[in-house]
Amino acid sequence: MYFLLSAHAGSRLHRIIQMNQLTVIGIGNRLRGDDAVGPLLIDKLSSQTNPGLELIDAGSDALGLLEYLEGHDKMIIVDACKMGKQPGELVCFDPTQASMILVDEPLSLHGLGLAEALRMAESLHMLPEDLKIIGIEPYSIQFNGELSAPVQQALKSAIDKVHEEFHRVTELIEA
Amino acid sequence: MSRDLDIKVHHLTRVEGHGNIVVNMKDGVLEKAHLSIVEPPRFFEAMMKGRSFHEAAIITSRICGICSLGHQLTSLVTTEDALGLEISEQTVLLRKLLVHGATLQSNILHAYFLAAPDFLNVGSVFPLIATHKDVVLRALRMKRLANDIGDIVSGRAVHPITPVPGGFTRIPEKAELLEIKRRLLEEALPDGLETIETMKALAGAIPQFERETEYISLKHADEYALYEGDIFSSDSGAVPVSEYLNVTNEFVVDHSTSKHAKYNRSSYFVGALARWNNNHAQLGPEALAAADAMGLKPNCHNPYMNTIAQVVEAVHCILDSVRIIDKLIENGLKNEKPNQTPTRYGRGVGSNEVPRGILFHDYTYDNKGNIVKANCIIPTGQNLANIDDDMLKLVPEIVDKSKEEITLNLEMLVRAYDPCISCSVHMLEVDFIE
Repeated sequence: MYFLLSAHAGSRLHRIIQMNQLTVIGIGNRLRGDDAVGPLLIDKLSSQTNPGLELIDAGSDALGLLEYLEGHDKMIIVDACKMGKQPGELVCFDPTQASMILVDEPLSLHGLGLAEALRMAESLHMLPEDLKIIGIEPYSIQFNGELSAPVQQALKSAIDKVHEEFHRVTELIEA
Repeated sequence: MSRDLDIKVHHLTRVEGHGNIVVNMKDGVLEKAHLSIVEPPRFFEAMMKGRSFHEAAIITSRICGICSLGHQLTSLVTTEDALGLEISEQTVLLRKLLVHGATLQSNILHAYFLAAPDFLNVGSVFPLIATHKDVVLRALRMKRLANDIGDIVSGRAVHPITPVPGGFTRIPEKAELLEIKRRLLEEALPDGLETIETMKALAGAIPQFERETEYISLKHADEYALYEGDIFSSDSGAVPVSEYLNVTNEFVVDHSTSKHAKYNRSSYFVGALARWNNNHAQLGPEALAAADAMGLKPNCHNPYMNTIAQVVEAVHCILDSVRIIDKLIENGLKNEKPNQTPTRYGRGVGSNEVPRGILFHDYTYDNKGNIVKANCIIPTGQNLANIDDDMLKLVPEIVDKSKEEITLNLEMLVRAYDPCISCSVHMLEVDFIE
């Protein structure tokens, strides 16, 4: 359906596309093994030209995420997460369903991560009303510049999950 | 006082065994006081070997999300030195604008999100959101403007794409620069002045601790050096950047996987306070007035004042960015092509002041323009010995305080340096609520 809508960006149609837009943010360090999964997912989605998706590679500065939150109602954040699952296992969750472990007294800006950025956004009432996190359990986050086999596999499932979420939010709007 | 103390702080990174503060005192005799940390550049040479000169800066910018621009610019000047690539005045001005944006962002975040919670004794930035929301929003507003400078000049704030060896693949439009100038003057400058007031109010909580050490930074004849200059030691004066190894003298210590550095003494300081001590006379009247208002004097030997020096630099970066934009527009923006025709192949050394201090890259290229050897010395590595020496003097001075207070003072000391831990894991850890 979104292809039809995007074919002619007349003013009304354009507005609908804007409403349908789902923002996908990949977080992680591309040089650091499976931590690259977020940015690599953004690369893959970029090659699929879905105009209803807004794609952002936020790199590994989690606080930078705060820049992107404003003005977005529907968002998915994709990141490698330590969840105690099997490597490559994917979990799509609402941040309210999970307890994210905070570094309470970081000794450096480098100690602030996604959990801290989300907590800050929540306190400032900046969180999108529809926010999901796709967490992928990593196998290795060594600086080797490549994904492990299980996470490579999970990348495909993550793309499917993003499309599924896209349809969900699109249908939500149309209903 | 004969006292036993055993302090171990393990929360600096989530990589077990790294980034710990360790203090051990027995019968009043200090046996150990140090910070151990992961060495980020250990993987550097392996990562860079065989890469072409087009790739080097892209790879280095991805080492770390927070130090991304610093590594990228230092990589570019290193490659240009190795390959004999001349760059234009416009390229230098645009890069200086990028450095100001990155310095502004990092210094402001450090002052508000790490130092201010200490000065207010609230543990972290989160309680401040409830009590001082306007202050947190001000910090985020300044961060955003700094990011937007990066976006407009470099194509993308997180991993800049337009700065390449020899110049820029795209230059900003005049209108974009004028809009940044407007926001610098109408938003960032008032926010900067408010920041001075905030820090002035908190300055009473800065621990009074003095340890004179050697201060090392870049120094330039014509300006407060951030982008270029010679290496300058407060003990022994100037050294060309190409001779950096004579200054850094890295050595291995038992307690840390990261090498330490020393020059004329057992340790030296790099970062905003070193830049202030070495180059304060080159700041403009507004930045000097800011320093005066917050109690920062020339030749300051209190490492906790590094945060105040960062705020002074933020004011400088805001105003100097306006000057640079005026100069770019006065010169007329030229759609130049980057100069990517090597005139030689060999070794190059580059250095910039990044927010945490002086950064060095060193590459050797073969005659196909691929890297055969690479080295990188980051500011935090250079500061480690200085942090240890600070701790050795500090602990006996505060030994009458409670263990909790001593620990807090040590953490605040480490935070004042805002150590770069490229290897720290920023991964989200999640427990699902059953």
